[in-house]
Amino acid sequence: MTSRRLLWLLPIALLPVPLLLNPYQQYVLNTALIYVPVGIGFNIVVGNLGLLAFSNVAYFGLGAYTSGVLMAQLGLPWWLTVIPAALVGGAGGAVASIPALRGVRLFYLAIMTLAFGELMRWTYIRWEPVTGGSMGMAVPTATLFGWALDTDLRRFYVFLALVVLIVVITDRLLRSRFGRAFLAIKDNEIAAAAMGIPTDRYIVLAFAWGGAVVGMGGAMFAISVGHLTPVSFDLTELVRQFAIIMVGGLASITGAIIGAAVITALPQVFANFPGFDELVFGLLIVLVILFLPRGLASLLARAHPAFIERYYRG
Amino acid sequence: MLSLLPQLVVSGTATGMLYALIALSMTVVYRATTVVNFGHGDMVAAGAYAVFVFGLGFGLPFLPAMVLAIALLFAAGFAAQRFLLQPIVGGPHLSLAMMALAIGYTLRGGLRLQWGTETINPQRPYDMDAYMLGNVVITTDDLVICTSVLLLLAALFVLLQVTPLGKVIQATFQSQRGAALVGINVPMFHALMWGGGAALGAVGGVMLSMIAPLTPDLGQWTLIQGFAAMTLGGFGSLGGAVAGGILLGITEKLLGFYVSTVFIDVTGYLVPIVVLMLRPQGLFGRRVALRV
Amino acid sequence: MRFRHAIMALFAMAVAVPAYADSTQGITDTTIKIGNLGPFSGPQSTFTPLNYGPEAYLRYINEQGGVHGRKFVTVFADDSCNEAKGIAAAKKLIFDDKVFMIMSNPCSGVAMAIKPMLVQEGVPWIGASANPKISRPTSPGIFHATYTGIESGRAMAAFAMSKPGTTKIALAMHSDDWAHGYCDNAVDYVKSHNGEIVANTALEHGATDATAQALQIKASGAQAVMACIYQPELIILLRELQKFQINVIVLGALGADFNQVVQAFPNNEFLRQRFFQPYQFKAKIGTSTLKQYQDIFLKYLTKDELPKVGPPTNFYYFGVPAAIVTVEAFRRAGPNPTRESWQKALESLKDFDTGVLADTETFSAEKHVGVEKMYAVGLSPKGQETVYKAWGDALPESE
Repeated sequence: MTSRRLLWLLPIALLPVPLLLNPYQQYVLNTALIYVPVGIGFNIVVGNLGLLAFSNVAYFGLGAYTSGVLMAQLGLPWWLTVIPAALVGGAGGAVASIPALRGVRLFYLAIMTLAFGELMRWTYIRWEPVTGGSMGMAVPTATLFGWALDTDLRRFYVFLALVVLIVVITDRLLRSRFGRAFLAIKDNEIAAAAMGIPTDRYIVLAFAWGGAVVGMGGAMFAISVGHLTPVSFDLTELVRQFAIIMVGGLASITGAIIGAAVITALPQVFANFPGFDELVFGLLIVLVILFLPRGLASLLARAHPAFIERYYRG
Repeated sequence: MLSLLPQLVVSGTATGMLYALIALSMTVVYRATTVVNFGHGDMVAAGAYAVFVFGLGFGLPFLPAMVLAIALLFAAGFAAQRFLLQPIVGGPHLSLAMMALAIGYTLRGGLRLQWGTETINPQRPYDMDAYMLGNVVITTDDLVICTSVLLLLAALFVLLQVTPLGKVIQATFQSQRGAALVGINVPMFHALMWGGGAALGAVGGVMLSMIAPLTPDLGQWTLIQGFAAMTLGGFGSLGGAVAGGILLGITEKLLGFYVSTVFIDVTGYLVPIVVLMLRPQGLFGRRVALRV
Repeated sequence: MRFRHAIMALFAMAVAVPAYADSTQGITDTTIKIGNLGPFSGPQSTFTPLNYGPEAYLRYINEQGGVHGRKFVTVFADDSCNEAKGIAAAKKLIFDDKVFMIMSNPCSGVAMAIKPMLVQEGVPWIGASANPKISRPTSPGIFHATYTGIESGRAMAAFAMSKPGTTKIALAMHSDDWAHGYCDNAVDYVKSHNGEIVANTALEHGATDATAQALQIKASGAQAVMACIYQPELIILLRELQKFQINVIVLGALGADFNQVVQAFPNNEFLRQRFFQPYQFKAKIGTSTLKQYQDIFLKYLTKDELPKVGPPTNFYYFGVPAAIVTVEAFRRAGPNPTRESWQKALESLKDFDTGVLADTETFSAEKHVGVEKMYAVGLSPKGQETVYKAWGDALPESE
């Protein structure tokens, strides 16, 4: 356990980093932070629970639009919109779990959840009075207790605190009886039900918690980008988020963190070779899945036991 | 307004056949390997570009260009399975799905680097004519697509139900281990089926490029519709895939014309949701869903 | 305690006002650094000729010795037409590459998303994206040297309604900001000129068929269609209209290349006097002063930057004016340009002929869109590409 405490060094070590960076690099760092909860939430359902649910972008969009609309239309300060964003994202997760509760599995579940995400994007386009439609909406400058979050540097510290909170709570959740129940359901759902685990309840919980976490990521995204359009929540975004957990490592919080960092940084590394984006992105995923089927996190876990996540059959 | 119903149904069937063509090639791969090829849309685009390159680039007439393109895509599909999917075949479904997606992405990235700045009008092997059937208009494209898909369906049906290959496919679909035990070279067989699926994708690409100009994203819309059609038909059923495609095509036209055109691009999502909530195994599928 | 102090110090630094870029950023004694932002990857990459056109012109100017001894150095950045990625790309250009200004930027969504940052950092922008809200009302440093959706949308509607008796208009639109940039303004024009929108159909990017849309247009009794859709869908829609022999005129937006659309119809009889697009140029492509630019594209662009098939499309030409006025403003700003003096010089341009566009460029402190007047292009009754001022009124030399 003490070695796990060492992991706290990571966010502390990150504290001075943005001061050494220019606003561009700070923005990239913030984007990576945003994708950490996005990856974590996706991973709970897909990695820990083992269901093929592809509605992650729906929660991301719901969180972003909830936060953005509450700020723009009701004039709420950003910090007051984070909880509603999480609630709406979580509600989205609960809705997305309905087909799973009906017994829909595998690729049938994949298309239904995919459809949910795309229908949400369709809703952002069509619900013009609220979302601004396809022209998008400007998100007002965020404030935190009267303090304007108008630079990437300021947003970084708020994002970091939020991400640490999400990581800690999710880690606790996954190492509690909830996490063990998820694992039991993933291994053998019928056996889990036979053992008296209320599988339905746990499935809803996993979806809702995943949705809530991703929704908070959406709230962060809203103020980082400052301009929301439905295009940001399309299938390309879904592939990006899927790539985060596959490259980082399934059913692993460390994996989500590494995946978020790598997938965010990758296009920047190749920024001076415009046009190579899709090619490089595709090749990276091919190589990682081929040679590191458990993602980049498995490298860390091999290097030091502190990185082995105990709810994961490592 | 009701007088336009026959037209909408006929046009919807033609569109649906296009979706069915994509669904058929994905079904072939799924039946053999239980992998849904999410990169299939890019193979469709690659097939269309291959025909274009062999045709305009090397000056070949349409038919030889198409044969070469099909052969090329077969080789590409074969190689993709052999070198990229076979090594991870024991892994989770998700890795296979992501791998297929990533192969497609890489392919699309390559096409984009080469042709991303332009929209290409491919050569047409025949002129587009319109025929009147009562007050229903049918184009050559409609006829060619419908005939091709029905011929393919018949050929695949014979292949799967009558020939020994069909038994091999059925055996490996039911139990890969069992199939290996009775002497079937499962990896080789999988690679061949991937090649076959990709080759069918090339055919789909040619059909599509009759209708829509060539861009690297040519296959994306139909991929989603094909996936939806496959779901409706119950994964793995050939007839179901075609029926699902036609159902989608017609629904799209009716919903679009009688309600609003804004529903057309989400028909492929709405129909599967409605159908699967009522029948979790799809319209023609056997019950595989889990209830606990 | 010391730890807490360290944290507080960090926060104090975070609160500190960020340093603004200085007004000569990107300018050295021998170079001027330009950021060229565009969708080099993703489905919108068919718009990158808007990025390569101005680049060709800058290379041409460099070979002439540059401006006041300075040569242009271009840094390309890829935004994939995605806001989040576009912001990263723009920040990279501004803070990492330290460019003087940002050019091209065909994607409206990205332009809207980066605009507040551009204004805050004082980075000039001359772009090709259609959304008129980017440069109206004016913001310091933000200019359009080409037509926005207001000019193009009005030109579409005005040409359609210049056909005698045309008042019933139908729309065919993508559900994206680009399409709204054109069609919303066309609709405003139609409504303010006693016209009527009789059908509003959605046709999404990637669709393979437009039966329902075509039949709705037919049922609505429309006389003209405003088609705010990209090239593949425009071709699909025209085929459907032809298939059902629907007697409407069709006005495409600037998302398609006129000649390529026409080429998709081996027998163009149906398109004659039926398919038109707003026309940005002063003459037919390949004639008069536009010939010179064709030579520039072919000479200064690499094989990868040019189309693999056929001559440079109209997007290459439409991208160029951004570079022409940029260069002209540097000429006028004198040997020691700053962002302020460059902007002043640009705002002093009056009736400046780019040799490309139908209108001359006129800017002022209140007017940051340089051009207004547009033509329309279509096929004459004999099937010849012809430039029109209004219905039946061809430019004399264009037939």
